[in-house]
Amino acid sequence: MSATPFLLSTPLPPVVVSPAAPPAGSPELLLMLLADARLPVAGHTQSAGLEPAVRAGLSALDVPDYLTARLRTVVKVEAATAVVALHGLRHGSATGAGAGLAEVESAWAARTPSQALRRTSRKQARALLRLVRHLWPDAVCFDTSGPPGASRAVVLAAAANACGLSPVSLVRLIGYDDLQTVAAAALKLVPLDPLVATSWVHHALADVEELVGELSGLTRPQDIPVAGAPQIEVWAEAHAVSSRRLFSA
Amino acid sequence: MREIGSESTRDPAVGGGYPRALRLGVCGPVGTGKSSLIALLCKELAADRRLAVVTNDIYTDEDARFLRSAGVLDPARIRGVETGACPHTAIRDDITANLIAVEELEEQFAPLDIVLIESGGDNLTATFSPALADVQIFLIDVAGGGDVARKGGPGITRADLLVVNKTDLAPHVGVDPVRMVADARQARDGLPVVALSRHDPASIAQLTEWVLAQWERHRAGRLVPHDPGPMAPHAHADGRAHTHPGDGEHDHRGQGGYVDAGETHDGRRARVAH
Repeated sequence: MSATPFLLSTPLPPVVVSPAAPPAGSPELLLMLLADARLPVAGHTQSAGLEPAVRAGLSALDVPDYLTARLRTVVKVEAATAVVALHGLRHGSATGAGAGLAEVESAWAARTPSQALRRTSRKQARALLRLVRHLWPDAVCFDTSGPPGASRAVVLAAAANACGLSPVSLVRLIGYDDLQTVAAAALKLVPLDPLVATSWVHHALADVEELVGELSGLTRPQDIPVAGAPQIEVWAEAHAVSSRRLFSA
Repeated sequence: MREIGSESTRDPAVGGGYPRALRLGVCGPVGTGKSSLIALLCKELAADRRLAVVTNDIYTDEDARFLRSAGVLDPARIRGVETGACPHTAIRDDITANLIAVEELEEQFAPLDIVLIESGGDNLTATFSPALADVQIFLIDVAGGGDVARKGGPGITRADLLVVNKTDLAPHVGVDPVRMVADARQARDGLPVVALSRHDPASIAQLTEWVLAQWERHRAGRLVPHDPGPMAPHAHADGRAHTHPGDGEHDHRGQGGYVDAGETHDGRRARVAH
């Protein structure tokens, strides 16, 4: 992909901010559904950057710190983006919700300087879109066609909007999913007793709650924290051109 | 089981009124020659059919690179999918990454006639979900041992086509190819088998004719994808052993099971009630 602009491909049609049909199932169950590793969104192809990190020398002992580092940087940006997008979908914005989403998308892209990370997010978004459109046909009422497509954060916001999930739940979903993605990939890359990997996730849940406190009230694109992780970005770039990959990213 | 295929499987007009491509899966253990078979099909068919390829590499983009370097197809029409060390999952349980790759190729190069999907080399139990592959070839080779066909497995016994590859190597590995193919035919109960050697034009013709026949059936809307299944043939309380797909999807009424799936791949109309 060349240096494509990171705005959504076409002007976004107006978003119909209508009360969605009542979601089938409790918000708690819907959150569990979206957080489930068995969700058909090609989750097994992702290592959340762990594969290039391990190739660069990260050991199993470092993985807990890696989890924390992600939560404080790339995951924070993604979760904040999703929260702001959800706010736009629910409440509209001064410039109209559609334009608002494009603004959110470019705020995310500006905070995600690695093209490889942006591409991965949009690839995951495409998989997620299939599911979201199937479960909640009216959920995605913005244009996601054509390159570069929407980011995962924005599509997750659409899913959360359709499900009636709160911003708090949305942050938890994104934080938890990242932890489990790294932990599951660790079992392939630096094999260990899976109980240990799950204890890492368990331990990091407190950090996710910190993110909840920090992010769940955000409403404006300019409030999305600027919290990049240059090392993770460099690894992502290296991985994208590596010829021996287990994981897509 | 009518709705077992992907949503667009029987959509008569995808991409400007042209039916979407036939999705042909090629599956089988490591080293049996899946990439070479796909290269061969590309070489034989590329002049007359619009093709694209998706590879599922386990550890590398080796297969995609092999095919690109083989010069049998425009490299842009060959796409690799990483499977996160889960080649089985990627073609069966969560086919999302593969479906997206297929759809992207279909969009980019519309219209296509056939998309060939190469599985990551896996074990004898790996087969494609019929929601991903409309029709599938399972591949074994004589170098893997003469008893492989007899041992069976869902791909060997019930894939739409079984290819016994590298028959020219048989004398070198102490395998009787005639016996091996006879075992395969017996295990498959009438489903087709091709004994293939790239040095034997007649066997190549058999293979390409079969592929083109599937394409014709797909175009005519007569191809109903079916699942070779991960399960071995099994018995119910009446003690009669049977398989599910392949011998015609049959009726397990009262067990919440299968219903009539219409025409099966070898053209038999099967509906077996118990």
